[in-house]
Amino acid sequence: MRSQITLNQYARGHMVGTRHTASPLRDEAEKALARGYEVVLDFAGVEATQSFVDELVGGLILRHGPDILSRLIFRACSDDVRAIIEFVAADRCDQYLKAHSH
Amino acid sequence: MPKTITLPPYLSARSADDTVAVCGLLLEGGGAVLVDASRLKFADPFGLAMLGATFQMLRDVERTVQVCGLGAAAAGYLGRMDVFEGVERVDCGPPANQRHNRGDSLVELTRLDTPQEVDQAAYRLAHALVGHLPGIDPDEPPDEMSGYTTFDRLVEPIQYALSELLENALTHARGHGFAHASVWVASQHYPSSGIIRLGVVDNGCGILASLRGHPELKHERHLEAILAALQPRVSCNRDLRLNLESVNQGVGLTTTCRIAEHAGGRLVIVSGDARHDTAGKSGELAGHAYWQGTAIALECRRVGLPDIRYRELLPAYEGQYRPGLRFE
Repeated sequence: MRSQITLNQYARGHMVGTRHTASPLRDEAEKALARGYEVVLDFAGVEATQSFVDELVGGLILRHGPDILSRLIFRACSDDVRAIIEFVAADRCDQYLKAHSH
Repeated sequence: MPKTITLPPYLSARSADDTVAVCGLLLEGGGAVLVDASRLKFADPFGLAMLGATFQMLRDVERTVQVCGLGAAAAGYLGRMDVFEGVERVDCGPPANQRHNRGDSLVELTRLDTPQEVDQAAYRLAHALVGHLPGIDPDEPPDEMSGYTTFDRLVEPIQYALSELLENALTHARGHGFAHASVWVASQHYPSSGIIRLGVVDNGCGILASLRGHPELKHERHLEAILAALQPRVSCNRDLRLNLESVNQGVGLTTTCRIAEHAGGRLVIVSGDARHDTAGKSGELAGHAYWQGTAIALECRRVGLPDIRYRELLPAYEGQYRPGLRFE
């Protein structure tokens, strides 16, 4: 079962920018994950700041660990958004693993 | 008798020391202030945001501000930028709407008080600035391959930078007893040089207070704090315990700086008693000048903006972990 968050509807122009906008979307994703859904983050038609992606995706990793990524699907990402997701995910997974290695 | 303070000839990022010094003099003490602007020749968005923030901070504590001696050109320009809201002009040039209206290339001073305002403000300001650029049609059909217009390609990097700078200002700046800090932003395009300038000023806790105790900060000095804040992964709350409401990655300011540099520009950052110019000199401000908060000037070339690729601006990832990601 999948739950989808369409980011275009939260964009100003073509961009989703702030942590403030991302935070309630992360809460929405967490609720869907808690019900056992996979969550599709649909980036069609939008660019995103690193801060937005970090608050949404990085926040989920810090709270639930890298395994959460197996239940997230990133759809229709531009090259820039894809690179930002890859950077945020790697950096936050690394941070999580270091924090839990003792 | 009001205290009389004379503005310097230049209120700008390039004369940040003088700009910060005069704003500090205006804020000192109490009572009414008379601002002698007869020497003022030029103000850029950094100077406008500093002066506008200072005027509004004076009004917030019910201190009367009068401005005298402004020439017609400066009066029109500063009036158009809304710097004089609530300020009485005495013996100045005519109002902005009668002459020297340069509305084709500037966006007026805007004050933000809450993080909720940032998304809409970054969008509106970036659109307003780019929408006034000569030769740009916001309504042109988008490129069939990318779905983007020339207008979009110019707006996005500015919107990105504003989003990061404004949210930083309204989150980090509000710690350490500065819960009511505000942020002021102004911007302008200079058609003859093709340069775009933004000024973002807050009256919050400043970068040093925000980073105090961080392992990257070896000495408690404002300049060292500014330099540390520009390093990737240095943030006041990146390394706090997990499960907090929000943690920063410490990359936003770094990326914003790289946007400016990739578009042929730079950042000038002032906080406390220090100034850092990413393309020029850094050090303590002259004459014991001091700004309680952070003031940032971003300068870039319009021609460089459409070529910005955010994926090329991210810090290098030096860790070992390569997570599996599901892209569709």
